Amino acid sequence: MREIIVNELTQAFQQMARDIAHYLPRLIVMLIIALIGWVIAYLLKLLVRSLLRLTKFSKLSENSGAAQLLHQAALPSSTELASRFVFWVAWVGFVLLGVSVLGIAGLQEYISKFFFFLPRLFAACVIFFFGLVAASFFSRAALLTAVNANFRSPRMLSLAVRFIIVTFSLSMTFEVLGVAEQTMLIAFATVFGAAMLGLAIAFGLGGQDLARKFLERKFTRQNREEREDELSPL
Amino acid sequence: MAEENLLTDDFLRQLINIGEVDIVVGLSTHNNARTIQPVIAAIQAGILKCFPRERVAIINADGGSQDDTIEQVKNASIDDLRRGSKVYALRTLHSISVQYGRIPDPRRALQTIFSGADLLRARTCVIVSPETTTIEPDWLQRLARPAYHDNFDLVCPIYQRQKFEGALVRNLLYPMTRSIYGSRIREPYGSEFAISGRLVSDFLSNGIIDQDWGRMGPEISVTIFALTGKYRVCQSSLGARPPSSPGTHDMVTAVRRTVGALFASLDGNFPFWSSLRESQPVPTIGTASALPDDTVRINRKRLLDMFANGVAQIEPVLSSILSPSLLSELRRIAALDVDNFDYPEELWTRTVFEFAASYHKSTINRDHIIQALVPLYRGRSLTFVIENRDGSEEEIERREESLCANFERLKPFLLEIWAERK
Amino acid sequence: MKGEAGWYKHAVIYQVHVRTFSDANDDGIGDFPGLAQRLEYLQDLGVNAIWLMPFFPSPLRDDGYDISDYKSVHPSYGTLEDFKKFLSIAHERGIRVIIEMILNHTSDQHPWFQESRSSLDNPKRDWYVWSDTDSKYRGTRIIFLDTEMSNWAWDPISKSYYWHRFFSHQPDLNYDNPAVREEMWQVMKFWLELGVDGFRLDAVPYLIEREGTNCENLPETHAIIRDLRKRIDEQFPGVMLLAEANQWPADLRPYFGDGDEFHMAFHFPLMPRMFMGVRLEDRKPITEILQQTPEIPAACQWCLFLRNHDELTLEMVTDVERDYMYDIYAHDKVMRLNLGIRRRLAPLLDNDRRRIELMNGMLMSLPGTPIIYYGDEIGMGDNIYLGDRNGVRTPMQWNGGWNGGFSAADPERLYSPPILNPVYGYQAVNVLSQKRSPHSLLSWMRHIIEIRRSNPVFGSGSIEFLYPANHRILAYVRQLGKETILVVNNLSSAAQAVELDLRQYKGNILIEMFGRNIFPRIGDLPYLLTMGPYQFYWFRLRRI
Repeated sequence: MREIIVNELTQAFQQMARDIAHYLPRLIVMLIIALIGWVIAYLLKLLVRSLLRLTKFSKLSENSGAAQLLHQAALPSSTELASRFVFWVAWVGFVLLGVSVLGIAGLQEYISKFFFFLPRLFAACVIFFFGLVAASFFSRAALLTAVNANFRSPRMLSLAVRFIIVTFSLSMTFEVLGVAEQTMLIAFATVFGAAMLGLAIAFGLGGQDLARKFLERKFTRQNREEREDELSPL
Repeated sequence: MAEENLLTDDFLRQLINIGEVDIVVGLSTHNNARTIQPVIAAIQAGILKCFPRERVAIINADGGSQDDTIEQVKNASIDDLRRGSKVYALRTLHSISVQYGRIPDPRRALQTIFSGADLLRARTCVIVSPETTTIEPDWLQRLARPAYHDNFDLVCPIYQRQKFEGALVRNLLYPMTRSIYGSRIREPYGSEFAISGRLVSDFLSNGIIDQDWGRMGPEISVTIFALTGKYRVCQSSLGARPPSSPGTHDMVTAVRRTVGALFASLDGNFPFWSSLRESQPVPTIGTASALPDDTVRINRKRLLDMFANGVAQIEPVLSSILSPSLLSELRRIAALDVDNFDYPEELWTRTVFEFAASYHKSTINRDHIIQALVPLYRGRSLTFVIENRDGSEEEIERREESLCANFERLKPFLLEIWAERK
Repeated sequence: MKGEAGWYKHAVIYQVHVRTFSDANDDGIGDFPGLAQRLEYLQDLGVNAIWLMPFFPSPLRDDGYDISDYKSVHPSYGTLEDFKKFLSIAHERGIRVIIEMILNHTSDQHPWFQESRSSLDNPKRDWYVWSDTDSKYRGTRIIFLDTEMSNWAWDPISKSYYWHRFFSHQPDLNYDNPAVREEMWQVMKFWLELGVDGFRLDAVPYLIEREGTNCENLPETHAIIRDLRKRIDEQFPGVMLLAEANQWPADLRPYFGDGDEFHMAFHFPLMPRMFMGVRLEDRKPITEILQQTPEIPAACQWCLFLRNHDELTLEMVTDVERDYMYDIYAHDKVMRLNLGIRRRLAPLLDNDRRRIELMNGMLMSLPGTPIIYYGDEIGMGDNIYLGDRNGVRTPMQWNGGWNGGFSAADPERLYSPPILNPVYGYQAVNVLSQKRSPHSLLSWMRHIIEIRRSNPVFGSGSIEFLYPANHRILAYVRQLGKETILVVNNLSSAAQAVELDLRQYKGNILIEMFGRNIFPRIGDLPYLLTMGPYQFYWFRLRRI
């Protein structure tokens, strides 16, 4: 019995050594790929960072309000974040490429799914980023217009505009990512529809007087009080 | 060279029939049937009285009027076809009209008029507003004569103002134009002005009207172009402008067309204005005086509310434009009550200059920067009202000078923040 | 020739003073024998009527308009026989003769006036207008503003005032006196019997005075004219009466009556406006005065002229227009006289050949009988320093030789010095040198007169103005029966494009009348013409 155990053990170790000898080159290749990938990803990061600096991406992100968001979340600047993102995506890609060399069954499929997912991820990031930009621009425009037109609650209007645009771009982002598409769509439609319905009810019933006064202000002459306010500028 | 693609065949034909002229009077209209009759009558009378021998043409650029504005302008013609006319004229007076588009566009209107004047080789072009119902026949002479006889290239108006009239001009446009461009033009944005044929030609050929500042404020761009070139500029006293009807002040539009254009002009003209150290007086023809009674009632409380509310509401926007110290000052004065309210000259000057610098750097969208100035201007106009309420003409003039001195004194500050990186 | 009705409508009249034209007896003054010798030139020029300025005996204090004998010839100009010979030769050459008849006044040297002033009882006392005071007819305008202070002059002999609308040495005849009217008819008859073809009746508006009026154009004056006309028509058919009345067209209209007063009248207000139009480069002054010109009886005719022996009168213009004309045409105040400008055609137009042609083109094509002032056909100059209006009455320039060929007398003896400057002097501007060139002004004038005379449309046709949008173009259509002529004048010193609405003449071909080249047919579209500076076209419309 002792000899059987020793033989089995010896065979098992030999098998293991054979397996290791079988996988080791692949492992080495994988590590090499990962290393090269790291270098390439790093270069890409530098390239992207330079590009973004040249195109003043940081200004755009400041304008969009993204910079402020990042700052509040104690995250690095948008340029840095974007370049790091590119770095990680590139390196993860190379690592996965290296892993695919290992030939582990079942992993191939997930690796190819990852690569197919990348463009959608990129598109989603772009959509969300520009959604933020648009939200920031239009909410600021709404705020300024409302202030200059002496609206009672300009901030509310501005926030509402921002909320709507961000919500809209979020739902588009999730749709592009393919994450909980239906849920996001329904949620967006519900929220948006409810908001509109609420406003309609408010104007139609609960806010009759307010609505009337609002309409009067918009479509009839300004009242005497307001006439007295404005100096002739020119 | 004139912008040919502006000219419809019909307009071109009318210009051919007019031939070379000495003076063009330009009118930009849009549904002005209510006000244009006295303006046209005054122009016609002015031509017959002051320039009976000169070849004069009236060119109306219309932005799609639906009333009979165009008809009224055309009826100002004096020719041998209109028999039975009681108006005597030594020579034919053409009054033509062209629709440059379906919606009013001040830029295209001015471009059309200037193109017509350029093709007609007019020595002088006088621009008149169709809403200035207080215009008198003599205005034409006061504007045109310096350009026509005395070789000035640009004749800006000086209006008889009531105390609180032209607040934006007095508190921003004049002092800033004076300090930046070194010229003491009281009304750099006038509804009426006269321009020499030479300047018209240069203005068109330089494509100023297609640049940002030309697009935003074509009228003020003419003034700035003249000030930055080797052109002779003067100003001439006219009379009173008609009181604005209530509710017609679109403040944001007014600020865009004037301040926006002024700010936009700073970029391209930086080499010129950055080297100017002090302003020079401009030849002034005639004497202007203030109008006696000011029956305009101003609700100061409401002005203050608009200012304070504005500062509070758009503080996040202002923080992208102004320095923290200035913003903090604004918060302080926004908290003052109406009896103690004061938006000091120096603070206002710094405000305007910081806005200008931010505009230059496009810290946020440029149009938003201009819009953000409007509530602050209201605060300054409140101080303007309070200070001048009981002031005499001399006192008001003195304060005006003081404000201008501030603008000139703080110009190095503007240059400093202009160069700073954000 | 005699008796041909309406001959004056197709006439081209040449105005000349016998004194200025040609001197046959070498006394330095032009005369009838000299003039007779030059009739061949006038025939060659193409004119078919001469208007002679006053040649009656006169003290010559107003260039012959102050008459001291109505039935004779001033000895300086010859004898009555010389005149008859001249008249005969003129008729032989197909040239009618119109003479001046100064009805309104005489010289104070006339025997009538000498008698009239001699005593209050003299039979001829009432032949003139006398008054004990100078306060009658107040408000009557003074015509010779530069020299006269009043229309009354004090006569030291009869110790009373006499009325004179012109110079004080030209007392007005009293037409309220039938004897005066009869005597003046006899004077006219005298000359008619000699064979003259017409009279230019000078200063007709002023014949009659009435208190409370402006003493011009009064109904009684018209009655006198009608009477004269009636007698002429009865006894001397075909004789033409031409009115000299410097009035607005509406005020001139009565002088035609119902075709029973004057045959012709000068259109005074048009003339300064033609000069104005060319300088303003605007047809408005011309078209407006013609719009205000009333219709006249079919047998009547306007007389058109550019210049004459008098100053270019600016009485019938507004103050603005007068100031403009003074500034443009008479910047030197020496040129100004009596609310007018005393200059000849060529100097007025800066000796610009194109403008001279344009003005003559309008003269020949506007409705009316054209009058050419002697010397203007060669572009003679003037001498504004000669005093009064003598600067435009200098000797005719025939050649570059002795006295310009006017006279063999010593130059110092000439009635007036000739023009001597290098531009207009007789060595530069004269008939002989211009005859030698087919491109001279004289040759051109011959050509245009020929075209004018060969086309009755100009004399008798209607006129319809076109009003193209380009105000620098004066365009009109003359029509007579089936003949249609389009006249287009560019009043501008620059090239012009003009579109003419000729739709009613659609289908016609245009034939340019000077070169006789054909121009495109008229279609539905506006007819586009491009014209050089001061250019004009005469087009005959033909439908082929």
